[in-house]
Amino acid sequence: MTKWNVFYMLLQKEVVLELRQRYALSGILLYVCSMVFVVYIAAIKVPPPVWNVLYWLILLFASINAVVKSFVQESGARQLYYYQIADPSMVLLAKITYNTLLLLVLGILALLTFGLVAGNPVKDFPLFFLTLVLGSLGFAIAFTFIAAIASGASNSATLMAILSFPVVLPILLTLVRLSTISLRLIQDTAYWRDVVNLLAIDAILITLTFVLFPYVWRD
Amino acid sequence: MWWKIASILLLAGVFLAGLLVPLYPGLQVDNPEVLVPGKTEAIALRGYNTFFTQSSDSTRVWLTFKNKYALQATQVSATDNVTLLATFAVPAELPVTDHSMSLDVLVDDPLHGAMGLSSVARIQPKAPLQAANDSAWRVAEVRGLHKNTAFRYTILPNNYESIRNLFFHVPMWMVMMVMFLLSVWHSVQYLRKPLQLADARAQMYAEVGLLFGLLGLVTGMLWANYTWGAPWSNDIKQLMTVAALLIYVSYFILRSSFDEPEKGARIAAVYNIFAFATLIPLIYIVPRIFSSLHPGGEGNPVFNREDLNVNMRMVFYPAVLGWTLLALWVAQLRIRFKVLENRLMDR
Repeated sequence: MTKWNVFYMLLQKEVVLELRQRYALSGILLYVCSMVFVVYIAAIKVPPPVWNVLYWLILLFASINAVVKSFVQESGARQLYYYQIADPSMVLLAKITYNTLLLLVLGILALLTFGLVAGNPVKDFPLFFLTLVLGSLGFAIAFTFIAAIASGASNSATLMAILSFPVVLPILLTLVRLSTISLRLIQDTAYWRDVVNLLAIDAILITLTFVLFPYVWRD
Repeated sequence: MWWKIASILLLAGVFLAGLLVPLYPGLQVDNPEVLVPGKTEAIALRGYNTFFTQSSDSTRVWLTFKNKYALQATQVSATDNVTLLATFAVPAELPVTDHSMSLDVLVDDPLHGAMGLSSVARIQPKAPLQAANDSAWRVAEVRGLHKNTAFRYTILPNNYESIRNLFFHVPMWMVMMVMFLLSVWHSVQYLRKPLQLADARAQMYAEVGLLFGLLGLVTGMLWANYTWGAPWSNDIKQLMTVAALLIYVSYFILRSSFDEPEKGARIAAVYNIFAFATLIPLIYIVPRIFSSLHPGGEGNPVFNREDLNVNMRMVFYPAVLGWTLLALWVAQLRIRFKVLENRLMDR
């Protein structure tokens, strides 16, 4: 089996597993919907600057909750089995890819539901989607790796949140800035610099993740 | 041993020189005065660290405009050591036809050296002028200025005496970064070869780095209270700092939440490296995107090369060295303590 074959099968495994245990997926989708609803009830009128911040906060919390189960939903023995039959970094890459797709779905769902109840102030859709894709990628890399770190500890859900907040802060700040531009709240024609920054942060994260993962999975 | 003595001596010197050496004399103004062309007007200048009564005979005062035109005072008298009264015969004709001219002041005498202050007065003609005539403004050329050669610190508006915090606030950050770098280095060593000593070092350097980070935050807030008007103003560097400190607080929580110490040490080392590498974009990329109140930030270049004069550098560099050595000393004691504790636990 080639490397990409292995990667494809692992990714397929993630998707099949998710679809089989449907409660996890529907749980997180419902989580996004109810969070949007709660935010809407609390704030009824949502002006664009607030919309922008609330959208990314909803996505941040939903992402943490979606990714936290990555390494704990399957038993330790089964994880070990995967690491035996496949390259551990391939297992990680499959999980990151799957989580990126999941976060992208969550982002679009949040955009639809939040747009439905609170209006949609996005003016520059291509830029907003680019931001969403890069953000999902960054969140997925950071959260998946932190989930791997926290999975061995006793209080992994709490640990996941406190470990990941400071790490994703640069990503979150850049995302909010880019989406502020796509909402036309500020004028900035040089936004490609922020895109490059975001790409650079994503590149740093993914490199580190692959360098450090071998020390995490070995038990 | 020698470096511990050196750190004490350096820091003693920094505290003495940093707190005792006075600032250069300077000028202050509350409201710019409005002058009328063709009249004789008096301007009251307030001095800071000045002794005007000792030098008023030889004091010369100019009003300058855009470093090109100067108007010398006809009469200068000192009311007391910090108040100087300068009388000007404002010419009826102005060098420009602008609606109003913002003037700077230059005071020079052998005792204080040359002192300047911008936007001291405004000339506002009653009606807009038709033609410019600068003949009256070129007469008094500014020549033979004195230089104050005493060992003094720079006086900056808004900062005044609080500029001494430079010797405490800035080295704290440098020490924090050095400690975090050492911590990451030992975490890498631990992953390469899992020795208890490397882990103890990584942990304790992170601890001392956190302590100095907190000290840097507190000294920064004290400074901000004087210069920015509030201890906390959501400046991007303040936010980044809190994020950096949060990373290390969660590092300690992480390592204490594993049942097996070896596993906790390994995972904590991994997180230490991961978090440090994300701290670099935090510190170097993000403050460049957002404007900051800090010096060197966009729109606020308060400290540049000229501001930090040679005298301040002569105290600042020893301060950095002294605080670094002190931090290494604290870390060394903590590491020894940790090693002894580990030995006791193993028994």
